[in-house]
Amino acid sequence: MRHARIVFDGRELDIDIDANDRITTSEGEVLDVALDSDQITWLPPVKAPGTIFALGINYADHATELAFEPPKEPLIFIKHANTLTGHKQVSYRPDGIEYQHYECELVAVIGKTGKNIKREDALDYVAGYTVCNDFAIRDYLENYYRPNLRVKSRDSLLPMGPWIVDTADIPNANALKLTTTVNGKLTQDGSTKDMIFDVPFVIEYLSKVMTLNPGDMICTGTPHGIVDCQPGDTIVCSIEDVCALETRMVSEQEYYGDKY
Amino acid sequence: MTAKTLVNSKLVCVALNDKAQLAALEGTFNEAPYKKPPTQPVLYYKPRNTWSVDGAEVEWAKDFDGNDVAEMVVGASLGVVIGKETCRVSAEDALDYVGGYTIVSDFSLPEASYYRPDIKGKCLDTSAPVGPEIVAADKITDLNALTVTVSVNGEQKSRLALADLERGVAELISIISRIMTLQAGEIIAVGFAGDRVAVVKGDKVEASIEGVGTLTNTLGGA
Repeated sequence: MRHARIVFDGRELDIDIDANDRITTSEGEVLDVALDSDQITWLPPVKAPGTIFALGINYADHATELAFEPPKEPLIFIKHANTLTGHKQVSYRPDGIEYQHYECELVAVIGKTGKNIKREDALDYVAGYTVCNDFAIRDYLENYYRPNLRVKSRDSLLPMGPWIVDTADIPNANALKLTTTVNGKLTQDGSTKDMIFDVPFVIEYLSKVMTLNPGDMICTGTPHGIVDCQPGDTIVCSIEDVCALETRMVSEQEYYGDKY
Repeated sequence: MTAKTLVNSKLVCVALNDKAQLAALEGTFNEAPYKKPPTQPVLYYKPRNTWSVDGAEVEWAKDFDGNDVAEMVVGASLGVVIGKETCRVSAEDALDYVGGYTIVSDFSLPEASYYRPDIKGKCLDTSAPVGPEIVAADKITDLNALTVTVSVNGEQKSRLALADLERGVAELISIISRIMTLQAGEIIAVGFAGDRVAVVKGDKVEASIEGVGTLTNTLGGA
């Protein structure tokens, strides 16, 4: 089963989506609408977002691309809900920068409170998986708490969704094809099998430091194949058996409108 | 996370904002891995599992083998409580967006490097007490006259005047609001004394700012 949050017919709804793409609301109402309909506005799929953990340089080939040695322990940074947006929504490119790239990532959504969780029990704490695009702006990198908040904590730069797939429906999250297209052209073609630190490892690691809670998310990093994105570009981040997340880039002025 | 935390959704902390600390580290910051001193505020989050309240016990941290860590430290800051949605505001207008002030204590492991986000050192459960209350913004007329002190078991260990911050409250709100839209109840801890204070199990820690109050917490593990 898949789970999402949408606005449809002026109503904000929590929905389940079955194997035949049939949509049922949490009230039991069946919606007569196709999944790809423009009548659906997709919200970020986690209803009460908690702490968002994101991994940096967690694929050996991406580490090489960025001229880093693969890390010996995970590089983890924190993001908050201001960065989230949904499927088929917009993300912005700040004015006056040279290089902003997508990062297509598998996301594990925490479903149960836990501390000191053993690796072998870790998936019991995962409600499901989704896809995110953890955009980065390389111009803003500084060597203090890198990647710093100016790079990774901006409004709208963590599209996520469209839905969460139950953990039980993904028997092996470490063997999923991961691709990104920009304006229909394939730019990233990898597999979650190349992840350095997988979801159970990261859950064990984080939960030695702190309590994990439902609504927390772990974004697991991106493989080789990043390119600059410009306003007007359409980016689709896809992970096999999970979902495909579409984002349209806009300018800073278009995004902020009256607040620009 | 405790039910009574004064924080709503986000606690942003500013590191390396003590002018004297920055000056002392200038040589270090010109070398690898930093290569040059920071050009922007150095920010980190204390996530929701860290949020706690006045009077609460702070857990003594464990290492990765499950043993008690040898050392913990504490710093304290003025907490600026956002009063309404704050998006891309100028420094001139920034204080209009402040709802009130409080105190943030940041308990952590000693910090040897500022190069990577310090999840292991900073994200410890119950390590960010905030309080004792939120004082309305109009009760504080001169931010630059405030001084943050930290006392351990009644003895003052640290003192930082807000006038000695590299960047002041209004400038920080403006800069941060151009990275992220802030919401009512979100809190910015604007600066900690460069020298964090060492604590041991059972210590009573009081963080005080005249006119804002005293935030009192005790280390666990004793």
